[in-house]
Amino acid sequence: MHYDGTSCNGCDIEVLASLAPRYDVERLGVINTGNPKHADILLITGSVNDQNREVIQNIYEQMPDPKVVVAIGICATSGGIFSECYNVLGGVNKVLPVDIYVPGCAARPESIIDGVVKALKILEDKKHKLIEMKSSAKAFVIEPAAIEDATEILALQKLAYQSEAELYNDFAFPPLMQTLPELIEDFKAVTFFKAVINGVIIGSVRGCMKGDTCYIYRRIVHPMYQNLGIGKKLMNDIEFHFGFASRFEVFTGHKSKRNINFYERLGYKMFKCEKVNDKRHRVYLEKSADRI
Amino acid sequence: MKIFLMIIAYIIFAPILGAVLSGLDRRVTARMQGRVGPPILQPLYDVLKLMQKDSLVVRRSQNFYIAFFLMFIIFTGALFFSGKDLLLVIFALTLAEIFFVLGGYKASSPYSIIGSQRAMIQMMAYEPIIILAVVGMYMVTKSFYITDIISYNKPLCYYLPGLLFAFIYILTMKFSKSPFDLAYSHHAHQELVKGMTTEFSGRSLAMIEVAHWYENILLLGFVWLFFANNILIGIALTLVVYFLTILIDNTFARVKWEMAFLSTWIVGLVFGVGNIIVLFFVKR
Amino acid sequence: MYLLSFLILFPLVTASILLFLKNDKVRAITITSAAVILSAGSIALLIINFHREAQYFSLEVPYIDKAIFFIETLLAGYIFYMGWKYKKYIISGLILAQFLITAVFETRYRHNIMVDHVLFVDKFSIIMTLIIGVIGSLICVYAIGYMKDYHSQHNKALKDNRRFFSFLMFVFLSAMFGIVFSNNLLWLYFFWEITTLSSFLLIGYNKNQEASNNAFKALEFNLLGGLAFLIGIIYLYRFYGVVELDKAVYLGKLGALVPVALISFAGLTKSAQMPFSSWLLGAMVAPTPVSALLHSSTMVKAGVYVILRFASVLQGSMLGFIIALIGGSTFLITSLIAISQNDAKKALAYSTIANLGLIVLCAGVGTYEAMWAAMLLIIFHAVTKCLLFLCVGAIEHRIHSRDIEDMSGLIISMPKISIMIQIGMVGMFLAPFGMLISKWAVLKALVDFNPLLAVFVIFGSSATLFFWVKWLGKIITVVNTEQDLEEGMSKIETIPLFILAFLTVGLCGLFPFVSTALIQPYVMEIYGATLTMSQGNIVIMSIMLAMVMLFPLSFINYGKRVKVVDAYLGGANIETGTRFRGASGSIKNMAMKNYYMEKYFGEKKLYRFGILFCFIFMVFMFMVLVK
Repeated sequence: MHYDGTSCNGCDIEVLASLAPRYDVERLGVINTGNPKHADILLITGSVNDQNREVIQNIYEQMPDPKVVVAIGICATSGGIFSECYNVLGGVNKVLPVDIYVPGCAARPESIIDGVVKALKILEDKKHKLIEMKSSAKAFVIEPAAIEDATEILALQKLAYQSEAELYNDFAFPPLMQTLPELIEDFKAVTFFKAVINGVIIGSVRGCMKGDTCYIYRRIVHPMYQNLGIGKKLMNDIEFHFGFASRFEVFTGHKSKRNINFYERLGYKMFKCEKVNDKRHRVYLEKSADRI
Repeated sequence: MKIFLMIIAYIIFAPILGAVLSGLDRRVTARMQGRVGPPILQPLYDVLKLMQKDSLVVRRSQNFYIAFFLMFIIFTGALFFSGKDLLLVIFALTLAEIFFVLGGYKASSPYSIIGSQRAMIQMMAYEPIIILAVVGMYMVTKSFYITDIISYNKPLCYYLPGLLFAFIYILTMKFSKSPFDLAYSHHAHQELVKGMTTEFSGRSLAMIEVAHWYENILLLGFVWLFFANNILIGIALTLVVYFLTILIDNTFARVKWEMAFLSTWIVGLVFGVGNIIVLFFVKR
Repeated sequence: MYLLSFLILFPLVTASILLFLKNDKVRAITITSAAVILSAGSIALLIINFHREAQYFSLEVPYIDKAIFFIETLLAGYIFYMGWKYKKYIISGLILAQFLITAVFETRYRHNIMVDHVLFVDKFSIIMTLIIGVIGSLICVYAIGYMKDYHSQHNKALKDNRRFFSFLMFVFLSAMFGIVFSNNLLWLYFFWEITTLSSFLLIGYNKNQEASNNAFKALEFNLLGGLAFLIGIIYLYRFYGVVELDKAVYLGKLGALVPVALISFAGLTKSAQMPFSSWLLGAMVAPTPVSALLHSSTMVKAGVYVILRFASVLQGSMLGFIIALIGGSTFLITSLIAISQNDAKKALAYSTIANLGLIVLCAGVGTYEAMWAAMLLIIFHAVTKCLLFLCVGAIEHRIHSRDIEDMSGLIISMPKISIMIQIGMVGMFLAPFGMLISKWAVLKALVDFNPLLAVFVIFGSSATLFFWVKWLGKIITVVNTEQDLEEGMSKIETIPLFILAFLTVGLCGLFPFVSTALIQPYVMEIYGATLTMSQGNIVIMSIMLAMVMLFPLSFINYGKRVKVVDAYLGGANIETGTRFRGASGSIKNMAMKNYYMEKYFGEKKLYRFGILFCFIFMVFMFMVLVK
């Protein structure tokens, strides 16, 4: 798929030329599509500015894995001759992880095709890695998390709570609004656990003691790794860690039937329901220690 | 037993044949445009790649419709090649297409919904001609069953030239080629993005592609019915018709939906119904 | 015989009781029990007569003809007065004509009329009985919950006249039973006019300007039909000396076409064929149970019922061909117009007229294959259309709008109802469901007879495909996560819906049995030959049905291994993904509307076209008769 940022359109035309009869990138099996969901390779010409920054991120998110990004032309690489303009933020690597840079102003079709071919090779590698990761999903490890994991955990939190936010149509949800400094503050007061596969954090939970009760919250699992028992193991481990508590308390939204069922299967019972705002009510569940 | 073998043969070989035909289509199109074109098995590579990609969706249930689309296309093709009632085959084909269209609606995105609606307009346009063709075949062979139609002693195109012309007219619509590629064709992406298939990716997209291969074989089988008297000549002529659609694709520009709909109905009325009227009076 | 009288009289008794019941709960219980009894009665009729041939009964009740005449006089007086009061002089004129003719007829000829059989029952009557008894009762039960909502929500200023409403519904049911059991044409005519009157009163229930205008329009057209009916009966008696249905059919086969034409004309007005369709479209202002009962499942079926009774007469004749043309062009044109309708009830009304046109087409063709197809159509259409109307009624109460465009996301906000309405819609046009089977049968019937008529069916059914899928798609599209609107749906409303949805699916699964048990014997009786669907095809349809039924199962593993992202909006999605950044940084909502194509399928354009066409056909019809 081809996206044009702030460019002079020179590289664009060269990209189109590479689809034309003289250079014909289709003989490599590559066609141009206008839809990120169908695309593997994102070609970006032109630089990034305030206006198109979100757009580029949006399109990138709408591409399925595995995917590669190719920055074409010097503007996409570093801003080019426009890099000192007031609106230009720089090259594409300011917003996306770029795999291939194709220099030139304008980049020649031969370079572009060369870049695409190299990108295809990287795509293959990514694909193999992805397959590996999926097959090893069974082998996850749960261990306490440290402050260095904060960034990853925050990203995971925002990703995992998307579905909750959708359920209530409320995107001003605390988990989604939490910032990095706040999370780091949390680390000092609260115990974090993380679930890891091949060094990548794919789940986390946190708990803290107040008096006799252990409050467990923000249980998150990466959407692609849900329903594999990771959530349950996280709960078991953190309950074990706080084994000296006599009571455990959790909460979730009133519409999150799956979560409520999940907790009930672990032995929790609902005892309170309280209104948070117009869109959400919170449901509190508790379990006493001898039920573990 | 023979029927069973035919069905198994269809299920296994049709996608391969469909992939080869699709690849040939791209290759021939490229050559017509002065390019080299992709390898002939490219569609197969595409589908294999798609199977290994992530599945992204807008609504969680949208992929179910595609799975049923594929299932019913295979069912329809199996019905067709085992020689059953042709009208029933057409209705089953419609059912399959409807699942696809509903999948587009379910995806709840502007482009997919436009694509679905335009696909329905196209369906409204070509459906009469297909059924008229079946009616025509009935009037000649006095049976709706494919086995009887095939074993008729003269090639049907002698009796049904008008219907054959009308059928080829709408074939471009079914194959999603210009001038009627209004709904989800590849080349309309400047206007419709990908139409109905916009919000599908990964495995679902692969299923759509495979379903289209099955469907293309089914449609070519239908064309073959017009020439079915002599099997080999029939296949050759069918391939000629296929080549003709590729040629038309590269020669004409896309038309607006009003033009597509009205012209198809007019062709259907003039050539299709005309053919039937003539047959009616001749057979009296 | 007693069962027949019971079925006719019992609703009448119930109606009178209901008129005096003030308490809502007691009324609800009465209606429900009456409904159960009626359904049981209809099924009992089926079981008793399962293996029997048609049966004819004579009745020796003195003065019953005089009583009927007396009631007719009262009703005529009332209608005349209404017409006069509201300045609808055509109505007064028509009823005056009817009354005078009846009065003259009664006084001069009554003592000479010899009627052999007044009542009868055969398989066709049983099918109609099941429809009236089972489906009609279900609608009455539904109406309990619906009318309660209707008054509390919408029309607080409207006087709560529910007693009168339920009274009318049951009077109507009684009249319908009368129509399908009467062999004496005079009685048939009497019951026919009662249905006209109930329709008039029920459409005007709302008592506002629009409702009363439409009620009078309905009255006009139906009275016109009634007049034609009456003239037909008089003609029959004057020239052939009989007033019985079976004798009329017999004489018709020998060439007595004029009464057949006149009675068919009455049938055409009652079933709102073009050029008489406007009354049915206007009748949609009535509360939904009325639309379901009178104007889709039952009363309009009475119209096609009489035409179908004469199908064997119409076979092969010019008159039949013209009637078939009227039906066919109605089907085509109303299907096309339905595409441009975004008012749900109007779209359903057009679809009803279209399907009735299809039945009229079969009746006009009159071969045994067409007969088989027509009966199938009647059964499936009654069930499915009723389901659709009732669902639309429930939806209208919840989302306070009849517009299809407002029904987006219904599958999340009203899951159970949306599933039922989807079953209804799918049942209207999709294989392997009932209406598709019927359309298939029609095609098969037509290709042998006259493929040119098949052209109407073919083009028309493509048009129906379009507007049903459009609507179906609108319901499953979800833009924002909606709230649950289904709270507070009373059981009494949902149970009929469930039963109907179940019937829709069940009937098409069981259709081979229905065919062999009910339809084929009747067709055999009349024609001596019948059509069936071959064994192989039945197997294939069952497999297809089973496969389609698998679809709900796929929701068990609901979207586990997929990642949800935004819809593609050119990358400009903001926040929830359904809003996007428009020009100058403004934020816009994603909105999607269906194609309605007013320019091509607009009601105004095509409707005039249809009326012109069919009017010409009507003229031809009478010219043929004059010859």
